[in-house]
Amino acid sequence: MYCDCKLIILMLQMGELAVDKHVKYILSVQKKRKDSFEAVVMEHLTMNGAYWGLTTLDLLGKLDVVDSEEITEWIIQCQHESGGFAGNIGHDPHILYTLSAVQVLALLDKLNVLDVDKVSNYIVGLQNEDGSFSGDMWGEVDTRFSYIALCCLSLLHRLDKINMEKAVNYILSCKNVDGGFGCIPGGESHAGQIFCCVGALAITGSLHLVDKDLLGWWLCERQVKSGGLNGRPEKLPDVCYSWWVLSSLIMIDRVHWINKEKLVKFILNCQDKDNGGISDRPDDAVDVFHTYFGVAGLSLLEYPGVKAIDPAYALPVDVVNRIFLGR
Amino acid sequence: MSKGDLISKGNGFDLLDQFEHILDSDPLIDEVGFIHPSQFVILNKEAESSKQQSKDEIWSSDNSLDHEDSNFWNRDHKLGISAHVLLPLYKAAKDAFMDSIRQYKIVENLPGASEDEMDSPRSSAMESEVMKHSKALLLLSCDFGTAWNSRKLILSKKRHMSLFSDELLFSGLVLSYSPKSEQAWCHRRWVIKMIAGQYSAVQEIVGKESDLVEKIAERSKMNYRAWNHRCWLVFYMTREQVLLELNKSRKWAGLHVADNSCFHYRAQLMLTILDLSWHKQEDETSDHDVEVYQIWKEELLWNEDLIKRYVGREALWLYRRFLSLYWTRHFATNVGDATHQSRHTSCVADDVNIFLDNELRLVNSCSTIPDNKFEDFHAQSIHAATYILWLTKQLPKSQEIELKKKLNAGSLLTMMNEACPERSPLWSNCLHGSI
Repeated sequence: MYCDCKLIILMLQMGELAVDKHVKYILSVQKKRKDSFEAVVMEHLTMNGAYWGLTTLDLLGKLDVVDSEEITEWIIQCQHESGGFAGNIGHDPHILYTLSAVQVLALLDKLNVLDVDKVSNYIVGLQNEDGSFSGDMWGEVDTRFSYIALCCLSLLHRLDKINMEKAVNYILSCKNVDGGFGCIPGGESHAGQIFCCVGALAITGSLHLVDKDLLGWWLCERQVKSGGLNGRPEKLPDVCYSWWVLSSLIMIDRVHWINKEKLVKFILNCQDKDNGGISDRPDDAVDVFHTYFGVAGLSLLEYPGVKAIDPAYALPVDVVNRIFLGR
Repeated sequence: MSKGDLISKGNGFDLLDQFEHILDSDPLIDEVGFIHPSQFVILNKEAESSKQQSKDEIWSSDNSLDHEDSNFWNRDHKLGISAHVLLPLYKAAKDAFMDSIRQYKIVENLPGASEDEMDSPRSSAMESEVMKHSKALLLLSCDFGTAWNSRKLILSKKRHMSLFSDELLFSGLVLSYSPKSEQAWCHRRWVIKMIAGQYSAVQEIVGKESDLVEKIAERSKMNYRAWNHRCWLVFYMTREQVLLELNKSRKWAGLHVADNSCFHYRAQLMLTILDLSWHKQEDETSDHDVEVYQIWKEELLWNEDLIKRYVGREALWLYRRFLSLYWTRHFATNVGDATHQSRHTSCVADDVNIFLDNELRLVNSCSTIPDNKFEDFHAQSIHAATYILWLTKQLPKSQEIELKKKLNAGSLLTMMNEACPERSPLWSNCLHGSI
């Protein structure tokens, strides 16, 4: 307890999180989507953007500023006849956007609009013989898709529809000698992939299969002098790993192996205090992706005034409780 | 009024026509870039000065040399697109693509649409529309997944080797200026899987593919998507190819000692030859074992050499963790203790204590920080100490106790707590854990 109080006092001394500015920034991004080339070339992943932006708003306690009916209607229009969701209206479905759609509906407490069996059948149909999951009908395999499938089915209470043992074994086959995980068996360890694999193992109750000291060692070596975390050895720190590394460390109970104060300071230094938003590194340009990961990282670090986020489902704890405990 | 304001939706389609015409008339374009309009003047000046020697055509908006009006620049198979036209051009390409794929799918899904009908002139005209517009769109927005998918849909019906080769060229072009495009890498894997299922040319393609990754990795440092692609290729390699790759990537790795991805790739190659020697046929001699043992030994020596030459490189020490761990598990025996000789222990083996003594000497030699206290030497001593602590934790109990004695782990941890206080919880875990 003493430690936590000390941390909170330190956080407040470090300077505030510019909550109102960040809310304003996220709302502005949502509006000016069509007037620049840089914005339109991202239109295929608008569904992910919606998840990043809306989760940030919810963590900051400001989800009520958006029109949830309008968003829900748009999400329904992104659903394909196969049951999967696309990143935007008229695009092809993919498991990446399907999870974001389910997560946003969960945030908005609108899961009831879904034909749950239709969505879950889409995901079930993507499991391969070896337990892995394809991202869509074209067959690319990646442990990210395993996480997405398991997370999505769990949120929809349909985990029993797949071969879980095979799914878990495939993830374990992607484990490296350094304790980390890659996209495929033999793929290089990457903090983002590690989050996916550890998250999937957490969701399926299989964390006992992870060598926590070995993985924890690799993860805590991601903290660099500035306090920020990188995603791989020899890389620069980046705010997005505040989420991926930190959530993994929490799930395997090794978060005390890094310096939390220095990480909080690093994230706060990446804020644009004038116009809102958070960037990858101090003084770089902000975007929604890094704003979400910065705020989510601060949430995991128990920053005062930010709602708690679940490290496996990547949704606010109250949303997860609503789904699994019926509030 | 700026030029951008004058471009209406109407001439968005003209721009697209012009763009697609260039793509069609120069199928060998190997470089694409978005350029500021002021760069046109410079490019055209350069072009004019060498105009006498070359008969290549210069494309501009009205097919003249009116430089002020240029939207595209195409010469020597290089294509420049003016940043001013990107937005209207993208919108036109997207609309044209979405229309063409919608119409194609309607015809394709017509009840009773037979194979013959899909081969009809009308259908193939629609296919070429989809291919043409998706190409234009993807050159502007390389991760537009729906456009890549539409190409897969058409290719999967045709299954012609020449079309698959074209597709490798096209995705290679996209990667030449967007080396991190996940969709382009993914598309290549799909094409290679299609080829592997039908043609025997896959070994040759794997070799070329590996060269492509190396070329891209040269310009795009530690590109995870590119190296992941190269690791994926290992599944398709023969033993000879794996050995060739080990040889080929060695020089590159030695010149890029901070590139962890390259060392991970080598680790994969090393594991693959080790794995192949375990699963060898009965009638094969133990020559492979000796060869793998030799390769591993050389790799350890080479890595040690790099560590001493390039001071303070994390990637080199991480690679050593891997090499040493496998060495102690598979090529070294603990004399007088047969209990942890694994099933896979090679028939060639060294005494593990000799190996660990050598590692201790290396760590000690890397832990002396010269008086000038360069940051690199400081980093080197931390990497060295972390390496030996990490290795100690991975060893079987008896070797661990032995190494701990020699290491004087207590004083090493005190040193680490001082040098790297952020990680003191990790160090104390080492102390109170199994060390």
